[in-house]
Amino acid sequence: MKRVVFVGFALVLAVAPAFATGQEEAGAGDGRLELTFWTSHTPPDSITLEAMVDAYNASQQDVYVEMVQVPGSETDVAQLMTAVRGGTGPDIYMLDRFTVAQRAAAGVLEDLTEVMEAVAPDLPDSYIPYAWAETQFQGRTYALPFDTDARVLYYNRSMLAAAGIDPDLLDPSNGPITLAQAREIAQAIDQTDADGNYTQVGFIPYDIMYSQGWHYTWGFNFGGQFADLDAGRVTPTDPGVVAGFEFIRDWAAQMDPQRAQTFISTYAPPNTPPQQNPFLTERVAMMVNGDWVLKWLDQYAPDLDYGVTYIPVPSAGAQPATWAGGWALVVPTGSDHVEEAFAFMRWFAGEAGQRMYTEGTAHLPTYAQLMEDDSLFGVDHQFFRASLAFANSRPPLPVGALYWDALTRAASAVTLQQEDPATALQRVADEVQPQLDQFLPLR
Amino acid sequence: MTNTIAKRNLRNGLLFVSPWILGFLGFQLYPILYSLWLSFTRYSGFGAPTPIGLDNFRRMFADPLFWQAAYNTLYYTALAVPIGVVVAIVLALAMNQKVREVAVYRALLYVPSILPLFALSFVWIVFSNPRYGLLNYLARFAGLPVIDWIGDPRWAKLSLVLLAQLGAGGPALIFLAGLRAIPSELFESAQIDGAGPIRRFFRITLPLITPVILYDIILGLSLGLQVFTQAYIIASTGPNTLAGPDNSLMFYVLYVYRNAFQFSQMGYASALVWVLFMVSLVLALIVFRWAKSWVHYEIE
Repeated sequence: MKRVVFVGFALVLAVAPAFATGQEEAGAGDGRLELTFWTSHTPPDSITLEAMVDAYNASQQDVYVEMVQVPGSETDVAQLMTAVRGGTGPDIYMLDRFTVAQRAAAGVLEDLTEVMEAVAPDLPDSYIPYAWAETQFQGRTYALPFDTDARVLYYNRSMLAAAGIDPDLLDPSNGPITLAQAREIAQAIDQTDADGNYTQVGFIPYDIMYSQGWHYTWGFNFGGQFADLDAGRVTPTDPGVVAGFEFIRDWAAQMDPQRAQTFISTYAPPNTPPQQNPFLTERVAMMVNGDWVLKWLDQYAPDLDYGVTYIPVPSAGAQPATWAGGWALVVPTGSDHVEEAFAFMRWFAGEAGQRMYTEGTAHLPTYAQLMEDDSLFGVDHQFFRASLAFANSRPPLPVGALYWDALTRAASAVTLQQEDPATALQRVADEVQPQLDQFLPLR
Repeated sequence: MTNTIAKRNLRNGLLFVSPWILGFLGFQLYPILYSLWLSFTRYSGFGAPTPIGLDNFRRMFADPLFWQAAYNTLYYTALAVPIGVVVAIVLALAMNQKVREVAVYRALLYVPSILPLFALSFVWIVFSNPRYGLLNYLARFAGLPVIDWIGDPRWAKLSLVLLAQLGAGGPALIFLAGLRAIPSELFESAQIDGAGPIRRFFRITLPLITPVILYDIILGLSLGLQVFTQAYIIASTGPNTLAGPDNSLMFYVLYVYRNAFQFSQMGYASALVWVLFMVSLVLALIVFRWAKSWVHYEIE
């Protein structure tokens, strides 16, 4: 009996170290300090990120950065939260920039203000102002801006021509078309089968499965303001935002919302890879999307004859609008190497790093100096760069993800004709404002 | 003497189960009690929790998403559990046929159950495609209308009830064990008395497997109320944070996950979980009480 007990204990003891040392990883193996960098990016963008990390490592004698792809998305950082809480978080994380304020408020991020002031007090001037503004929370710096982007209208020239529409009508040199014009063009392209289901569509402006027809896209397009940061209020019932929602409701009604949804479920079901994006497979003639799609078209549909132009405007002569997002680099709470991590971030989000990323992925840089370098931008990409002049950015709120979700839900209810825009948006305000009140004042 | 042996046995016994006891205390009981404390606080997951009394529970009743998630989850469970029991019994009967190839049939019927749910969910997206999917191919073949199984809020939950039946092999094995435990003399004497197969099923088989049915309902209830993976994969990827069209797949645990890890509201998420626990407990007690009127324990 004693022996059995002993063997049982020996087994437990033998297994225990296996759990304890699960953290150890093979690194550079040459005594350099190892930093871990997590990103939720996937190919093709992560391939460029990997090359950037390699380039940084080659330039360093004392530091080695290990990049790890982790599950996650723009607003889902479960992996990061649990790891940081468990004391096994990375030294650097790539975070959607509009959520920096939210994660800083939650205590997930290291305050970088002192480190930055010690080594590079002028750093804020190197970045585009709106991108820098998104790295701040209550006057402190929590991130460095990485890339940015802009949303435009992509149009398929051959599909327009096949429907008897002169594609040159959409050329940006003619200025933006109106939404009424877009509706006419779209209707000429829509095709249905014998059962009345769409097999080809011109434009679904509110689609969020294969394109960027977000609430923000149409709210900004109608001149809407989503928050009043000085007053510490979310303003989803702003007349411009409501008008944007009325527009998508009416468009959906004209298409038959369920049939439009069935088209999306058919040609862009959940987890559709970029290769099967219905614009790339020529099922959709026009979509609102970002600059990264240029790389997709280049790689996966090199023969597709397309153009990029302004998002259609509510009325003739109206100013075009769009919005810009992008990512940021942060140091999660609990890193023992904040200074080294910050040095890496300065390189990665600096001139050298952002140059590589812009060349590799067709995102736009936030490093102001790079914006002037024409050699970095192809013809279509230059249009995106020019779009930043009239781009909005999402309000950097400590409840950014919650607000985004609530707006998404309202847009869905509105396009399915279940609620009128004013009611749905009032509900958003009722839900989000009490949560925002915890963090006031914002400035 | 006996006393020392008993003591030693007790000590050794406790030592042997100590890994489980320590694991239970550290990884189950402690988090459970900790979450109870958190449910009365505001807590982002970092820093110190701020006690706020019953605010989280008050907020819940005014939160439309809480009600929608609760409705979706109860709707799903109310369908998935009874249908699951019927499908599992039918599978078990098929597995219990006296034919030579029965081993092959058993394996075939059981195979979908060993596939991980997340893999099945990806397969389901392909199956349910309105134009190219197998389900609608069969529907067209049978002259039925085509259904957008995951894009139409009226069908999305039903589609997940169907998906859940692919996992019926597990409970079917338990039912099979129940069927094999029924003494064959009962069937023989019933047959001699002239009872047909249908009558034998309803008069002998069904009453004698009622303990297994009760077990399956309780288990199904608990799993159904915690449905998560399918909705997470099918309806909640990337920046599209809507859970299915019009949030028709916003299930309770998915909403808990969102609150905890996306909105950094661990306190509210803990409160939600405790309400779920209470509701599950009450439902299980109701089922047990109700079961007294129809469960037979004759064979034991």
